[in-house]
Amino acid sequence: MSAVGYDLKFALETIWKVGLASLALGAGLPVLFAAGIRSLAWGSGGEAEDSHAKPSPIGKVLAAVIFLVVIYAIVSGIVYVIATGKGANYDITFKHLIPEIYKKVN
Amino acid sequence: MIGKIILPAMASPVVAAICAATGTFFIYRVTAGVAKRFLNSGFRWGQIGTATLVSLAHGTNDAQKTMGVITLALLATGHWAKFDGIPFWVKLVCALAIALGTYLGGWRIIRTLGKGLVEIESPQGVAAESSSAAVILASSHFGFALSTTHVATGSILGTGIGKRGAEVRWRVAGRMAAGWLLTLPAAAVVGGAVWFIGRAFGTSGAGSVAGALVEFAILLGLAGYIYLRSRKQAIGAHNVNADWDGDTATAQPQLTTGGVA
Repeated sequence: MSAVGYDLKFALETIWKVGLASLALGAGLPVLFAAGIRSLAWGSGGEAEDSHAKPSPIGKVLAAVIFLVVIYAIVSGIVYVIATGKGANYDITFKHLIPEIYKKVN
Repeated sequence: MIGKIILPAMASPVVAAICAATGTFFIYRVTAGVAKRFLNSGFRWGQIGTATLVSLAHGTNDAQKTMGVITLALLATGHWAKFDGIPFWVKLVCALAIALGTYLGGWRIIRTLGKGLVEIESPQGVAAESSSAAVILASSHFGFALSTTHVATGSILGTGIGKRGAEVRWRVAGRMAAGWLLTLPAAAVVGGAVWFIGRAFGTSGAGSVAGALVEFAILLGLAGYIYLRSRKQAIGAHNVNADWDGDTATAQPQLTTGGVA
């Protein structure tokens, strides 16, 4: 394959990957955050809801869990970018809940 | 060149727009029934997080290009010989210059993007910022160079498309796109002109130093003129959200005649 052809193939494949990752994290996480806000409103009741419904404590617990998941995803995403960036000799594993960085063996 | 710069530059705003539109659409679906005040104050907290992520993403991509160009020049002239490092002063100067530029020009851009292009609310801000951050970070990860500005603009357009009843001012978008197309050849012309002027003073010894100083003085003078011109009708916290004049499609707020601003 010609150099330009290879270049194009690389670009199209990568744009596709960037798009998928962005949809999952860039759209998925804010929607999850929105679910957290929804639960928090449920848990707060009254002024927080258009319907002025009574507060339900489960909502607050659910909101806390969702916000923790969002924070976890963001922090691991940043750690992933730093650990595997161009020029970095590290890799990362999510085997145990907390992301672990290790030196690449060449 | 095509694969790493041109295609990503063209595709990234589109990817960001799709991502932000999807996010916005579902955010408003999920939060249906939540009181507006509660919704906005909750998402304002989210915006602190997403704005931080955009800054990080900006640093992983845009900032590196400035440093790359300076380091390349140092390598070419033999003032730097390491291929796996950038001099510390280059990093410091680039970081300071970018921060200063944001400080000086930020409000005008905030107004154009957040008020002119689409009148955004906090939930849309979160959707736009998180999709920008995701697109830029993912692209940096694969070594794509792109423009944070293009991605952020695509994201904000997307949030306008994704929210029912939101208005996207396509004339503003058109003006911005025209600006982007102009900046590439304009930068080439200015770069070439300054090079010729500098070279006229000589290529070695005292002449080359004088040439560099003259080049610097010209650029400083032009930058100063642009700054002073923008100060004539300054945009700041007091008028950044003033009503947008739909006819002119410029960031200029209405002169305060009727207390609109």
